[in-house]
Amino acid sequence: MNLPAYLMPSPDGVPWLTLLLLSPLLGMVLVGLAGALRWDDRLVKIGVAAWMGLPMAIAIVVAAGFASTATSDGQGLVQFVEKIPWIQAIRVDYFLGVDGLSLPLVLLTVVMAPLAVAASWSVTERVKTHFAMLLLLEAAMLGYFLALNFFFFFIFWEFSLVPAFFLIQLWGRENRTYAAFKFFIYTMAGSVGLLLLFQVLYLATRSAGAPTFDLITLGRLGQGLAVEGTQGNLRDIIFAYVEKLGLTASLGRYPLLYTSIAFWAIFVAFAIKLAVWPFHTWLPDAYSQAPLAGSIMLSAVMSKMGAYGMLRILLPLVPDAAQYFAPVMGALALVGIVAGAFGALANVDGDIKRLIAYTSINHMGYVMLAIAAAAAAPGGATQDSRAIAINGALMQMVAHGLSTGVLFYLAGLLHARTGSWNLSGLGGLRTVAPTFAGVMGLAMFANLGLPGLAGFLGEFFIFRGAWATLPLFTNLAVIGLIITALALLLMFQRIFLGPAGKAAHGFTDLHPAELWTTVPFLAALLFFGVYPAPIMNLFNATATQLVAVFQRVLS
Amino acid sequence: MSFFLQYPWLIPALPLFGFALITFTPLRQSKSASTWTATGLMLVATLLALGLLAAVAGSPTHAESAGAAVGEPAGDSAGAAAGTGHGESAGTAAGTGHGAVAGDTTSEPTHKSFAFPAPAVVQRFEWAPAGSSTFAMGVYIDSPVAVMLAMVTIAATCIHLFSIGYMASNPRQSRFFSFISLFTSAMLLMTMADNLLLFFMAWEIMGLCSYLLIGFLYERPQAYRAAVKAFITTRIGDVLMLLGLVYLWTQAGSLALGTGEGEIFNPEFLKRIGETTNALGMSHASGIALLIFCGTIGKSAQFPLHVWLPDAMEGPTPVSALIHAATMVAAGVFLVARTYPIFQADDGTTLQVVAFIGAFTALFAASIAVAQYDIKRILAYSTLSQLGFMVAALGIGGWVAGMFHLLTHAFFKALLFLGSGAIIHAMEGTTAIEKLHHSDEYAAQQTAQDIRNMGGLRTKLPWTFWTYSIGYLALAGIVPFAGFWSKDEILAHAAEDGNFVVYGVLTLAAFLTAFYMTRQWLLVFFGTFRGEKPVAFVNTELHVGHDDHLGHDDHAGHASHTDAHADHSPWHESPTMTAALVVLASFALTAGFFNLPFDIPGGFWLTHLWSQEPAEINWLVASVSLVVALSGIGIGWLAYRNAFGAAQDTDPLNARVPGMFRLLNEKYRVDELYAASFGRVTNALALAWAFIDRALLNGIVDGVGKLTLFVSQVNFIIDDTLLNDGPDALASGTNAAGRQTRRLQTGKAQDYIAYVFAGTLALAMLYLYVIKK
Repeated sequence: MNLPAYLMPSPDGVPWLTLLLLSPLLGMVLVGLAGALRWDDRLVKIGVAAWMGLPMAIAIVVAAGFASTATSDGQGLVQFVEKIPWIQAIRVDYFLGVDGLSLPLVLLTVVMAPLAVAASWSVTERVKTHFAMLLLLEAAMLGYFLALNFFFFFIFWEFSLVPAFFLIQLWGRENRTYAAFKFFIYTMAGSVGLLLLFQVLYLATRSAGAPTFDLITLGRLGQGLAVEGTQGNLRDIIFAYVEKLGLTASLGRYPLLYTSIAFWAIFVAFAIKLAVWPFHTWLPDAYSQAPLAGSIMLSAVMSKMGAYGMLRILLPLVPDAAQYFAPVMGALALVGIVAGAFGALANVDGDIKRLIAYTSINHMGYVMLAIAAAAAAPGGATQDSRAIAINGALMQMVAHGLSTGVLFYLAGLLHARTGSWNLSGLGGLRTVAPTFAGVMGLAMFANLGLPGLAGFLGEFFIFRGAWATLPLFTNLAVIGLIITALALLLMFQRIFLGPAGKAAHGFTDLHPAELWTTVPFLAALLFFGVYPAPIMNLFNATATQLVAVFQRVLS
Repeated sequence: MSFFLQYPWLIPALPLFGFALITFTPLRQSKSASTWTATGLMLVATLLALGLLAAVAGSPTHAESAGAAVGEPAGDSAGAAAGTGHGESAGTAAGTGHGAVAGDTTSEPTHKSFAFPAPAVVQRFEWAPAGSSTFAMGVYIDSPVAVMLAMVTIAATCIHLFSIGYMASNPRQSRFFSFISLFTSAMLLMTMADNLLLFFMAWEIMGLCSYLLIGFLYERPQAYRAAVKAFITTRIGDVLMLLGLVYLWTQAGSLALGTGEGEIFNPEFLKRIGETTNALGMSHASGIALLIFCGTIGKSAQFPLHVWLPDAMEGPTPVSALIHAATMVAAGVFLVARTYPIFQADDGTTLQVVAFIGAFTALFAASIAVAQYDIKRILAYSTLSQLGFMVAALGIGGWVAGMFHLLTHAFFKALLFLGSGAIIHAMEGTTAIEKLHHSDEYAAQQTAQDIRNMGGLRTKLPWTFWTYSIGYLALAGIVPFAGFWSKDEILAHAAEDGNFVVYGVLTLAAFLTAFYMTRQWLLVFFGTFRGEKPVAFVNTELHVGHDDHLGHDDHAGHASHTDAHADHSPWHESPTMTAALVVLASFALTAGFFNLPFDIPGGFWLTHLWSQEPAEINWLVASVSLVVALSGIGIGWLAYRNAFGAAQDTDPLNARVPGMFRLLNEKYRVDELYAASFGRVTNALALAWAFIDRALLNGIVDGVGKLTLFVSQVNFIIDDTLLNDGPDALASGTNAAGRQTRRLQTGKAQDYIAYVFAGTLALAMLYLYVIKK
């Protein structure tokens, strides 16, 4: 079909993204088949672990063929596009593609899923279902990052909850039912506004003559970029539609009001997923009650779905409202940063998974701060500052995914050895498990943002970008840097330092297999921390185009 | 271009390679292989650094300046400076040096605008994209950097060498060497960083190594607590410095050192940030410089963030010498020196703050040192005090004086720390302390560090005595030892610039320095040995599980074979340790000669090398400071020559002014103050946030859930009673399912969802129409 210049199909004609999306699903079918044939659980585990290489290989092909600096018509070039009309009546297309915003997260997903598999090695109950759920979860997440039509985007968004729900509900800890329901209902409830909004957007664009669910098209309309067959920008289209309905007579003739309503509908949905304060209370329960694989996938990938949604939908579609409410977003981010840090500190004598969960709230707070800063009104900020903020956010997401995943994995190994998730009663394990301590120390320092490891660069670029537009919040956010470091250092101290205590008896160091499971992640954190260009080049161009709209004075 | 100028990055790369070898290969299993690999690589790095220094000193700019000093005609070598490969900024840099050489030093006494010498090497590569621009990383070598590299590598090599003997009996000696190699690499990288982000990254890696090495004896609660304290306290300074960097980057458009367009020392840029103000009403230059200076306060342990450094003495003594005396703590001073044009860009307020903090810390720490008994803590407070001298020097405009003192101090303080290490090492072998070691090795080590338990070691450890004495005289400021020249330069600068408050405070601190060092020197080396009946350290927290001997102190080996060595004297000096002491002592003796304040051949060598204006010696100031130092020594000698016949005696100062002595001994109780204020606030906030989360936010979420449940039950009753007929079967089905999954299947989830969404909408409208209007 005839694609506009900003959409580029797969260069060799192979539908790589469809293959990528189908590969975990096919794996799930194979697991089902193995179940029907009553294969041995161990065989299934090995099979799934090996199968994980397939999505990874396909993703690497995509990344290798990705032209990272390509931009077109005011946006990053969307590549490997597959666009096939599907339900013509409501203009639903099967539309997949990657750009600089989604590719890093696609890579993160395919990299973290194997760690979740490794972390499930000790699962003994309903093994095949567990691994099938993991594959399904991976597919749903990939679909979410790849889909560019709202219909599919939303289906994958909701559908990713299902395997996550069952993972928590069936293999979780003592409070799993409560945690699973809270997680599921909270996210579902939050996204209803999003669903309703897109119905309205569809109707609005229809009354403007070009009905669409296409996220790229809507994003271009929102940013005031040219779209074939439509005039004007999204704000005017929404306003015209609302006026046609007669709502303006009662609510008033303020275009910003209607984009603001849209803004909040979008924001709440994604803020819950990103665990922005005060929508974060599901997170410590879900992360701590989930089985290890669930904690890893939820923290490393699923929380990024919220931030991705903001970058893909919130900023492009309603930039004026995003700019108007940027201080509010920034304030919530700041509170989340501080609350997450102190929440972690409150758990240094408690549950290790809750502690890591709270540091995640803290880290996602920086991402929120970056998004707010990128959108905020010009305070003498340059386009580069905003782009740096978005770069920082994406870098932070990747780094946080890698380091938190490893931390959860190691927490699981610790639990397997000591039988407890509680930090009190440990101590002195470094004497008997020096490698364990070293690996955990590295993951911890990556998490708390030590320079030389990738987490620092995310934070540094976020602070750099945010300083230009939200200097007050940026200044106060450093409290989070200090307190998180304190909480994590105390966690490490509780586990490893001091004279060897009771817990050290019979405690074994990391096995080679466990060690080598973590090595690729730690190596990636180190590599990108020392030389970030390979990963930052993926998104820099797209981010720079994305924030151009905020350089104009909006609203 | 010479080899040394082409491959400067090899200097940090070699120790980094050593770190990687020891950490990731089986090499670590052999102690001697790891130690000698690390030391050998360090030695090669030292040679490279010396070669680099020679190459930089011999490059056209500096050769001419040095020549000019001895009276040869001073040609305009600005053009020659640019010959090193990049045209930027050479003119301004070389210009300053030459105006001075021409002899009219007094023509502009008031405002001397500072300029760095032109760099000899700048190598950069593209490191990360940043919007439409890119961030470049690389190395930037000018003459101050070359001198710093030489100092750091020499000191680090000596300390590596010393540790071979000192740490020999520690089971984790290999790991120790990998850590100090990583540290040295980071310090070297920081020194040659071409931009402040790389500077900061290396700076933080040093912080990590400091954390790891303070907590090296991680079985001890005191050690790991001190490690966390050091990391967090310095991080407070570091995050503020990070804000300073993002502030600077936002203003300047880059963080690259240099005076070119878009670089941070660009004259027009400096002028602009000095004249424009930020939201707080201070100039951008002040804001940036003060935030950057916070990094210095943390890293160089200046008041009020000084509390971590004395506790850091829990680390093995070579660590104290390398990190907490010679290099890392001096990095804070180097940071100010490196960003000096920014500090000068405002109206002078920032430098006043710098001078005040430095001078205050110099006196404050020196007074605490007077009343300490632990040999390492005396040296730690002395380090704080000397760092205060350097910071104060920079604050009053004495850039050369501050840098010069940084260099000389590194040598003599490392020497003193290593000397104290040799003393402690021997003390731990004495009978009384070995006995204590069996019950509590921490108390044994603390007892071994108590100067009251020493005495008469002059004859028992002669090499240590003589080298230590050189370090002592250098620190006290006795001519011709290194410390005299550099300290005098600071004092002369303060006096000549009319900064009499700073001059007075520093002179008083210099007096106290001479006094407390004399006290220490007399108690350690003279009198009779008091260690048979020591003042035993009372350990308030004995470890549990002491039977476990996996974890041991620095030199635990002694404990296991005490009996076999009953007749073996502890008073021997290992050759590697002695060699390190001798090398450092020779520098403590001679380092002052690198910048003699006389117009003779070789005089002002560093000043000329750095293309700065030489300051002639001020005979009055020099005589006064010599008299002050001698009187400090004299009074110390009078007070302590007969003190402490036995270890249990009262300190003469304590006998005379007990209240004062106690306050000083307890370090003005700053630690207690912090614990009662910041410590409590932090804990309270953690509890408060946890409460808000659990009781308030979670309560709302659960409450909404329960409300929904209630509404749906009402709905169900209505359905059941009023609309009974048709939906009956459906209702009972719902009921059955609901029993399993109460919270979800309560009827109409849509209602509940709609409430949440309606609430959100209401909030949005409330905001728009009520709050905003």
